[in-house]
Amino acid sequence: MDAPMSERRIRTRCACGWEASGPEGEVVEATIEHGKRLHNMVATRDEVLSRAEGVDGDALDDAGEVDDGPR
Amino acid sequence: MTRTPAGWDVEGPVQAEVFVIWLNGETLELTGPCGAAPWYLELGAVDHPVEVVDRIVREVVGDPLLVHSTSWRRDRDAVILSFVVVIEAGRVGSMDSRPIGRADLARSEATAAPRDIATEQVVEHALRHLAWLAVDDPVVRAGLSPAWQAALAGYVPEPFRNLG
Repeated sequence: MDAPMSERRIRTRCACGWEASGPEGEVVEATIEHGKRLHNMVATRDEVLSRAEGVDGDALDDAGEVDDGPR
Repeated sequence: MTRTPAGWDVEGPVQAEVFVIWLNGETLELTGPCGAAPWYLELGAVDHPVEVVDRIVREVVGDPLLVHSTSWRRDRDAVILSFVVVIEAGRVGSMDSRPIGRADLARSEATAAPRDIATEQVVEHALRHLAWLAVDDPVVRAGLSPAWQAALAGYVPEPFRNLG
């Protein structure tokens, strides 16, 4: 069974060196706040997820889901 | 399908590049919330660049002594507006900082921009611009301490110019 969305852990990295990792909801919120506060950026959840990765280096697929590889 | 995350970065057709500078004793140093490096801000279609830079600097770093646009160029698939922001030493706090070295300017050709412009060259030009303002502009002169003016004395004054 897939983990609930709230438990999925992702990582985002900003070109300025800032990064966040943890539960998806927290990371998305932190990333949007970082972009707005430090870079005057307006970003949506989908835009954040489109540039996030799973923790432990897992890539996300085009829909923003962790890709576990072939099943 | 998997993909390699591109990372999070400032985008858009117009971006601000902020150099936060302070005087550490007699040495000019570069600092900022993104480290001792250029600090990029996204500029929207209705944003006034100076207002955005001033507002965000105040919110993130604290009140600046001076905010001034010093050059522009094409880079990062955008028009980059470079700003020098002068802050008091007390604003640096835990932000990384490093001394600013000297660099040769990136010179334009008669009708063309320089092909490559390094960050150090943008900072060099920004400080020469500031040195010019410190002589020419009473507001800037009044905003810079004698120690700051002494630190700028080694920079050959040079007004606004296109870097690219």
